[in-house]
Amino acid sequence: MKCISCVKLATAATCLISMFSQAEVNFSGFSSINVGKVLSGTGVEHYDVPPTFLADYPIVSAYTEEWDMAPESLFGLQITADLSEGLTAIAQLVGRGAEDYAPEFEWAYLSYEINENWTIQAGRKRLPLFYYSDFYDVGYAYVWMRAPADNYTWQIFNYDGINVMYSTDVGDWSLATNVYAGKEDDDDNKLLGDFFFGDKTREIWKDMLGGVVNLSKDWFETRFTYMQYTNQRYIGGEQTMWGGEDSRNGKFFGAAFNVDFDDWFVLSEINRLDLEFDGNLDTNMVTFGYRVSTFTPYIAYSSMKQKGDGVVDGENHNTTSVGLRWDFHDSAAFKVQYDDVKDNSHDFAVAGDSKSLSFGVDLVF
Amino acid sequence: MNSFNKILAIIVLTLSQNAFAEVAVIVNSANSDDINEKLIKKIYLGKAKAFPSGAKVKVYTLPNSTEDTEYFRQKALKKSNSQFKSYWSKLAFTGKGTPATELDSAADIIAAIKKDPKAIGFVNVNDVNSEVKVVHNY
Repeated sequence: MKCISCVKLATAATCLISMFSQAEVNFSGFSSINVGKVLSGTGVEHYDVPPTFLADYPIVSAYTEEWDMAPESLFGLQITADLSEGLTAIAQLVGRGAEDYAPEFEWAYLSYEINENWTIQAGRKRLPLFYYSDFYDVGYAYVWMRAPADNYTWQIFNYDGINVMYSTDVGDWSLATNVYAGKEDDDDNKLLGDFFFGDKTREIWKDMLGGVVNLSKDWFETRFTYMQYTNQRYIGGEQTMWGGEDSRNGKFFGAAFNVDFDDWFVLSEINRLDLEFDGNLDTNMVTFGYRVSTFTPYIAYSSMKQKGDGVVDGENHNTTSVGLRWDFHDSAAFKVQYDDVKDNSHDFAVAGDSKSLSFGVDLVF
Repeated sequence: MNSFNKILAIIVLTLSQNAFAEVAVIVNSANSDDINEKLIKKIYLGKAKAFPSGAKVKVYTLPNSTEDTEYFRQKALKKSNSQFKSYWSKLAFTGKGTPATELDSAADIIAAIKKDPKAIGFVNVNDVNSEVKVVHNY
């Protein structure tokens, strides 16, 4: 279902490109070649999980006690067709080591710039839930090996729909906002199917409606977001019921604050997913970094805690990380990171405690 | 004596290189907008997409590898080349902005700006000629 809509969109985009033969087509892209291993870990004995570091939840990038290059390595290609007069068609193909590098359309949309303030986009896009969600794959664009795994645990990360963007100046501040609406029907959800339920899981997020407000000024940036959706789920072909209903509602709230002052920077995020029958899933993270010429050492802490009525031993894990980014080239960075994960839940244990080392190169072209 | 001359030559060269590393931001001579440092920064960071008159701006840059580009990004945008690239890769791969069009030489930038009243670019001050208007020197 998901693939068919991708193909449809891609075909539509290709038709549009060939229709406007004068379209200027540009290729750009990004790549990460990462390797890592678990130095020591407990695993989760009662779920038969061996020592594991779950580095990326959505795509289930799991490192084990053997050095492995597949989990987080990826190659992305963006095709931008400028059809002039503010109209562009954009597609992004990403092949991941975790999926044997089979390329998939993560983005395929049309963008129309109405004027310098307003832009409207339609098609398949990344869901901009957390601060780093929509450029999660572009490792070169952030300091760590990956956006903090404890926070970025959502199972749906694309949507088919419409996005309206508005940007303007408010005094000395730059304001960028967007409102989006759409749906995603993932007939074989990797995180839920492979990792949590052990059976093929179809995950539907429908009636998604969300907004983002981003304010920035020189060295300070803040972002607020809200999104609501209706969730339906089929595990092994059987529809999940919640309190006698075949659907439930989720609300996501998020705030991010970033300070970048001379060579120092602080990155932070506070998020809550209020999901019916699952309570509140709270995610927080903070990172401190310092740039010394081409080197950027950093320390980071992130956590996820499930709370609420009826939640006794919910999901509860955190990660302390130290790492170094080295910009050895204009378009490439070498990174190395040590992660110490604590998994504090018994019933909702994800991958147990672990200490891991990973390193790699991120580049853009 | 010989090595003294060498050192002297190196000092002179270094000084003159610094002097040459001055960059001028240029627009079409018909552009009468008030373009200050703040606006230049916003334009090159993708935060402003139009001049105060409302005309949609077309942004040009010299290649990444040139000293003038590096100098401009450091002085005008307070970003190193890799910080700048990292910042723009976030916008470019999420549909939030289109990076500046890269042209090979100062002559190409001047030619493009001469033709387009909505264009902005930067070149080394020594490459500026009377065909374009300088709005700011860094």
